[in-house]
Amino acid sequence: MISSLQNAVRPIFDRPSLRYFPFLTLLFLVFSVLRAHPASSETLSLDDVVRQLVERVAAIPNLHSPLHLEFIQDSVVLSDTGKDWQEAFRKEMERHHLILTDDQAAPLLRVGLAVTPTQLVLSAVARVAERNAVRIITLPRSSFQAASLPIVPIRIERQLVYQGPDRILDASSLWNGAEGGMALLAIHNAELSVLRLDASGGVKQFIALNAADAHPSRDPRAELTVRAADSVVLLPSKSCEFSWASPAEARCRAVKPTWRGSTVLTPPCDTGGWKLLADGSDWSTPGVLQVVPDGSQREGSAALLSDFPGPILSINGEQNPASALVVTRNLRTGNYEVYKITLACGS
Amino acid sequence: MRCTKSLSLAAVSACLAALVAPTGLLATKHPKFGGTLRVELHVASVSLDPREWKPGSVTAAENMKVASLVFDRLIALDEFGRFQAALASEWSHDAASKIWQFRLRSGVRFSDGSFLTPKEVAAALQPLLPPALQISATEEGIQIRAAHSTPDLLDQLASGRYFIFRAHPDGTLLGTGPFILVESSPPAPAEANPSVLRPAHMKFRANEDAWAGRPFVDFVEVILGDPPLRQILNLEVGRADIIDIPPDLVRKVRQDNLRVWSSPPYTLLALRFDEAQPAASDPRLREALDYALDRETMASVLLQRQALPATALLPQWLSGYAFLFGTPMNLDRAKEIRSALPASVAGGAEPLRLRVDATGDLMKLLGERVAVNARQANISIQPVAHVPTSAGTSATNSPSPGLHLFAWHYDSLSPRADLQALAQHLHSDAGDESLAESSDPEKLYADERRLLEERQILPLILLPEYAGIAPVVRNWSVTPSGEWRLADVWLATAEPATSNNESATGRDTALGVHP
Repeated sequence: MISSLQNAVRPIFDRPSLRYFPFLTLLFLVFSVLRAHPASSETLSLDDVVRQLVERVAAIPNLHSPLHLEFIQDSVVLSDTGKDWQEAFRKEMERHHLILTDDQAAPLLRVGLAVTPTQLVLSAVARVAERNAVRIITLPRSSFQAASLPIVPIRIERQLVYQGPDRILDASSLWNGAEGGMALLAIHNAELSVLRLDASGGVKQFIALNAADAHPSRDPRAELTVRAADSVVLLPSKSCEFSWASPAEARCRAVKPTWRGSTVLTPPCDTGGWKLLADGSDWSTPGVLQVVPDGSQREGSAALLSDFPGPILSINGEQNPASALVVTRNLRTGNYEVYKITLACGS
Repeated sequence: MRCTKSLSLAAVSACLAALVAPTGLLATKHPKFGGTLRVELHVASVSLDPREWKPGSVTAAENMKVASLVFDRLIALDEFGRFQAALASEWSHDAASKIWQFRLRSGVRFSDGSFLTPKEVAAALQPLLPPALQISATEEGIQIRAAHSTPDLLDQLASGRYFIFRAHPDGTLLGTGPFILVESSPPAPAEANPSVLRPAHMKFRANEDAWAGRPFVDFVEVILGDPPLRQILNLEVGRADIIDIPPDLVRKVRQDNLRVWSSPPYTLLALRFDEAQPAASDPRLREALDYALDRETMASVLLQRQALPATALLPQWLSGYAFLFGTPMNLDRAKEIRSALPASVAGGAEPLRLRVDATGDLMKLLGERVAVNARQANISIQPVAHVPTSAGTSATNSPSPGLHLFAWHYDSLSPRADLQALAQHLHSDAGDESLAESSDPEKLYADERRLLEERQILPLILLPEYAGIAPVVRNWSVTPSGEWRLADVWLATAEPATSNNESATGRDTALGVHP
């Protein structure tokens, strides 16, 4: 069993590199003999954990209701989970016939939800027979986040079309834009890779760009230009062309890159273009996408602003005049996300 | 000003005018390579050899901060609770979490150009791992065998001293990290004024072949041992980019409108009883002192709200359950217990001697505050000076102390490992073996409660770390264990007019695009 979390918790890629990994096959055999590690709490949701905790609280010997309930919650967790879990806790208490009261003189049951570097910790303490009875249940933070992330794309002016833990450098619509789908330039296991995804987000093709011999760089600049037969990846010092049909024959050459200029979109009801701008200078702060009219005579007349959950890392509108793909890193989850930005007419 | 699309057209136009026109909004800006990052730390020296670090010591924490420039670990933990591959690319374990396999990332080189091998990883980790963990090299990685279930092994390996290095016979260590140490000089008399000591200095250059990518800055200069006020001045005038700030100076720095970063509380200040003075072994005296301590006031008044009262051994950010331990202060109860003790115990001519095991005004003040609290419960405590000698022994001639005021840094991301290390520190022997056997949170809580009820240690306050950061420093971030990710930092200095010119700030700005 492979338990590196970027693979185990939220598989994104088909992980083709592992196909060539006899070591893992050996490990698999070894651990099959040793009995596979159970999935354990990795698949639990917060509601599951709340249910388990209430069951354990209800089983505390000599615990008598009514109880006065007090919640303690880290501010960090509050922003992630809200207070829904508290309501779930109350309902579970009722289900176990434990009566709650506002009477402060009643025995106190304190319940806390906290986040540590690796876990969510749900704990309860009740005073029973002059002693504290404590029950604690933990849940890996990573599994909680994976379970809690919105998986249904949102669509106001933008639509979340992809998210994953691997670093995404650029995203491009496919040449056959009408059919949907996109290509991602990503770093997977420290290798430069291109993924072709269908409209539903499924990975149709994974290409490890070994020919690029790309030395790992902290410089986030890289661009993917997708064409029907072949495509181009532009890096800070080189350019690589590859074809979807025979990706192993990628050819690279040293170039001084000319990065793409501003992305300009044209909505159906306006013949003038609108420029997409962002200040991605600091990765520790959320970005704001600004959509401003293109052309000097129109600048300053109006702007649309859209808050993103993290810094905006790339904007690519090359394939479709009406939409662009924006890559950001969600500062709450750490995932890289791709949003489709469409300029629709009307409010 | 915050603008949304629901604003009226006029307001939107105003927003645009304010946000766009004056600054000439640019398309996405990108980080720049180049420049020298200047870091000032208050410690006088650092050791880059993890084998020499004493668990829990504050100096070890500073060592780790600097060592993370040149060394990597097998894995890392990100701020979202996910373990990330570092020198290990894959890992797995058996059902009992006793046998762990790590596959090494291929193609990783040490700073001398030689390849990292499984044997070197095993050799580096073996002296650092607890005796219950045995490591061996395999064909493509390493295997760690534990005597008991160790589900928190990743938490441990992603933090603390578990760096990978190659030790040369002459004692130098090579790393695979983002920087390479190129200069190191001890404190020396200043040329202009030999009566003044020039602080110790270390210089690191970017590792062009770092497996995770070349750092943005070309160099990191670390100045050690400058007094805090001089560090603050250097930050203000642009001579330093990052400094560490003592908690008692944070307010001043904030009032100066400097950028201050703060961490979760990584350091515990606590009292430890020492039975070398007989009165300290009396459990009733310990209990009375515990009830007498006013931790809230220590944190809010003495530390000006730059610290937190500590009622547990592990902080809330690490254990998640610290709130379950209530506040023990109860002066009436303290007096009651004290009154039942003989007057000669910690009183009159035989006060309980308190030794402060760390230097600095803050510790001294805290020791005095402990004495004041104790006096309110009729317990006599006498702080005694402690001057460590170069040999590490105490230079004081006073009788053995019954109390120590000490600082403890949480090294590990595993709360169990931290509690075990603390227990070992208390008992100065093999420690509590039962703590090594389970990561069950309820057992951990029970163990911590037992240690607290023994009252050999009385937690006082928890200290965050503070850093002052210059405006030119971009992309500042910190690992969950408190190490600074300086390889990801870049400097937002103006492009020089020519490659030979210096910028307006006078700093080294040979900025350019990494090839």
